[in-house]
Amino acid sequence: MGVRPTTTSASPTQREIYQKSNNSSPSLVGSLIKSLKSSSSTRHHHQQSGAVSGDSDTNQSSRKPHHHLGRSPSQAGTSQHHGRGVSHIHMSPLRKSSSGSSNTASTSAHKEKHQSKRDKYFRDLDEDWSAVIEDYNMPIPVISNGGVELKPPVNVGLRRKEETESRSPSAGYPSLPHLNKSQSSDLKSQYEHENERELQELNSIMQRVAKFDTILQPTNGNLINLSELRRLSWNGVPMVHRPRVWRLLIGYAPANIKRQQSLLQRKRQEYRDGVALVFSAEHTRDIPTWHQIEIDIPRTNPLIPLYQFPLVQQSLQRILYLWAIRHPASGYVQGINDLVTPFYQTFLTEYLQRARKDDVNKLSPDVYLTHEQLLDVEADSFWCLARLLEQITDNYIHGQPGILKQVKNLGQLVKRIDSDLYDHFTQENVEFIQFAFRWMNCLLMREFSMDMVIRMWDTYLSETSLESSSSAVNDNSNAPLLLSSDTSLQNSPISAYREKSSSNNLQSKHSATASSGQTSLSEFHVFVCAAFLVKFSDKLINMDFQETITFLQNPPTKSWIESDIELLLSEAYIWQSLYKDATSHWR
Amino acid sequence: MNSPVTSIKLVLLGEAAVGKSSIVLRFVSNDFAENKEPTIGAAFLTQRVNMGDHTIKFEIWDTAGQERFASLAPMYYRNAQAALVVYDVTKPQSFIKARHWVKELHEQASKDIVIALVGNKLDMIESGAERKVAREEAENLAQQEGLLFFETSAKTGSNVNEVFLGIGQKIPLKTAQNQTQGAGRGSSGLRINDDSRVDLRSSGDQSASGSTCNC
Repeated sequence: MGVRPTTTSASPTQREIYQKSNNSSPSLVGSLIKSLKSSSSTRHHHQQSGAVSGDSDTNQSSRKPHHHLGRSPSQAGTSQHHGRGVSHIHMSPLRKSSSGSSNTASTSAHKEKHQSKRDKYFRDLDEDWSAVIEDYNMPIPVISNGGVELKPPVNVGLRRKEETESRSPSAGYPSLPHLNKSQSSDLKSQYEHENERELQELNSIMQRVAKFDTILQPTNGNLINLSELRRLSWNGVPMVHRPRVWRLLIGYAPANIKRQQSLLQRKRQEYRDGVALVFSAEHTRDIPTWHQIEIDIPRTNPLIPLYQFPLVQQSLQRILYLWAIRHPASGYVQGINDLVTPFYQTFLTEYLQRARKDDVNKLSPDVYLTHEQLLDVEADSFWCLARLLEQITDNYIHGQPGILKQVKNLGQLVKRIDSDLYDHFTQENVEFIQFAFRWMNCLLMREFSMDMVIRMWDTYLSETSLESSSSAVNDNSNAPLLLSSDTSLQNSPISAYREKSSSNNLQSKHSATASSGQTSLSEFHVFVCAAFLVKFSDKLINMDFQETITFLQNPPTKSWIESDIELLLSEAYIWQSLYKDATSHWR
Repeated sequence: MNSPVTSIKLVLLGEAAVGKSSIVLRFVSNDFAENKEPTIGAAFLTQRVNMGDHTIKFEIWDTAGQERFASLAPMYYRNAQAALVVYDVTKPQSFIKARHWVKELHEQASKDIVIALVGNKLDMIESGAERKVAREEAENLAQQEGLLFFETSAKTGSNVNEVFLGIGQKIPLKTAQNQTQGAGRGSSGLRINDDSRVDLRSSGDQSASGSTCNC
C-alpha cells in the first residue's frame, strides 16, 4: 500500500474529510470504535488494526514506564501490515526453533499489541477531539468514552451502538456505508475488506497528520513534547512534517518553539561562516580528503537524477568536506556520502508544494529554491549529518571499531535467534563481516531504495539516543556552539572555528562515553540487520557460500514498500524486546 | 563440457576509484557504468572461463579502495591465489598505492600468489587525458616484482579479459607443477619461467578462447 503517495497527493482532500467528520463527531468515532471492537474480537484480523495504527503512539505516553512495550512493533505499521507482521513472525525462525518458549513470547507480544492498541485508540480520539491533551494521566476507563464530551462513561457498550446509529444518517461520504455493513457481520467479503481497509488507512493517515499537527503546535506552552514525538515518529512521519520532525528528533532544532526560528537562523549562519572560512585563502585545503570526496560525489546515488545536478553535487561536497575537516579523528569515510542524502532530500521537500514533494528526486533545486534557501537546506543537512554521526562515531574512526563490534553482535544475536542459520553459515564458511560490514557502514542504505530508507530513518532518528539528543543536550549542546559562533562573528574567525570544532569533538566524545560506546541507534540497527537476515533464512539455509554472499549482496528488496520496511522494523523491535537481557552487555 | 573446473580465488586491490569494480563488472557481465557507487567492505563475484581443455572458475573479492577500509584487506587476500593490483594511468598517486599493495602482498599473502599489475582507464588517454604513469615505469615494477602487467580500459573492455586469462594460464600450471614435482604440462604451450614477461608477451595470443559462460 503506497501510504505515502496517498498522503501527499490526496492529503488536502483527506484533510477536508477529516475535518468534516470531525465536526459531525459521533460518526467517525463510531466507525473507529466498531473497527476496534472487531479487532479485539476476531483473532487474526489485519484490517482493523489499520484504523488504529495511526494512533498507536499516543497511548504510549500514558504508559511511559513501559516505553518499550508502548512502542511495540505491532504498532509500527499501517493496516494490512499488522496482520502480516504477526503471521510472518510466526513463520520465521521462531517456527524453526520449535521451542515453546519463543512461541509464547511472540504470542504474548501479540497480545500486548492488541492491548496497547485498544488503549492507544481511545487516547488518540481524545487528542483529536479537543485541544485539551493534558489528560494523559487520566485513568484509562475515562478515555473509553472516546473523549467526545465530558459525559461520564456510563455504559460503554451502549454508547458505541448509539454512535454507530447516529453516524449513518450524517454519512455523506461514500465509503462509510461499507464500514457499517462490514461491522454488522464478522464474516466480511473480500470486497468489503478492501473498502474497509482503504477507509481505515485513510483515517489512519488523517489522524497521523493531525497528531503531528497537534504535537508540533503545543497549545500549552512552548515546549514540544520530544519523547512523545519520538514515540509517534517511530511509526513513520508524514512527508509534510518530516523536515521539521527530523530536525527535532536529531536534536538540531530545539524543542522550544519560540527559540526554533532564531536558533536555526544562527546555525545556518554558522554553517555559512564555516564554509566561507574553509574555502577562504586562510584554510589550506586538505587535498586527499577533498579529492576523495570529489570522486565520490558523482558516485553518490548515481541512479537518482537529483544527485546528478552540479548544483546538488557542489552542495554535498561542501557539506562533506566541512564535516570531514571538523572531525579529523574520523575524517571522510565512504558511506558518509550516502548518509547525508536522506537529510538533504528531505529538507528540500520543505520547499516543494505538497503535490510536488515526490518530485524532489527529479527536480533541480534551483527550479524552486533561491540560492539562500539552498544554503539553508545545506546547513540543515550538515548539522543533522553531524548529529547522526555523533551517534555512530566509532563506525568511522581508524579501524572502524564500532562496525566490527556491531558485526560481532549481529553474529551472536543470529546465533541465538536462528541457530540453524548460524550453524549453516559456519559450515559454509560464511563470515558475517563479509556481508554485514556494508550494512553497518551505510546503515542498510545500499540495501533499500531511497524512499524506503527515508521511512526507515523516521524510526532510526526516533531511536537516536536520548543521552545525546534529548532536551538536556539539545539545549546545552547548542549553547556552547552558539557561543562560539557568536565569538566567530566578533573575534578571529579561525580561533573561534577551532574552538567550535573542539567543543564539537568533546561533545561527541561525551555522548559516546555516556553510553559506553554503543548508542541506542547502533544497537537497534543490529536488531534490524538481524531481522533482515533472518527474513531470508528459509532461502539462505539451502545456499552454499557463493550463493549466500551473492544473495546477500543483492537482496531482493527492490520491490519493497513501506509496509515491508515497517514490518522489518517491527520484527527488529520484537527481537530487541525478547533479547534485551542477552544484549545488555553490549552497552 | 565436462572439462575439469579449477577454482581460483582472486582479490582486487588498489586505490579508491581506479576502476576495480568496473574491471570486474566488465569481466563478469561485459558491462560498464560511468559512475558506480563506491564499494564498501568488499563485493563478491564469480565468473567461469573456458580455457582449452579445462574451465576456470574465478571467485573474486573486489575490495573497497579507501584507506580507512584497508584493514579489512588481509581477510580477503590471505587465502587468495591471485591478486589484481589496479591503478589509474592518469593518477600517479594511485600507482604509488599500487606499489604499497604489491609490497604488502609479498610480505603477507600466500607465497605463490600470482599478482597482476593493472593500469586502468586507458581510454582516458585515448580521449585526450594526460598519461601520468609511464608504461615503462609500470613494466619495470612488474619485472622487478615478478608480476603480470596489463593496461586496460574497463570502459571499452580493452584488455580486460586478457588479465584474467593471463592469470588463469599461470595458476593451474603452477598447481600442476607442484603436483608433479616441477614437471610442467607442456601441452598448454606455456613455459614456466621466472621471467614473467615471457608469460606476459605470450598471453595475448594464447589458444585459450576466452569465451565466457555465465554460471
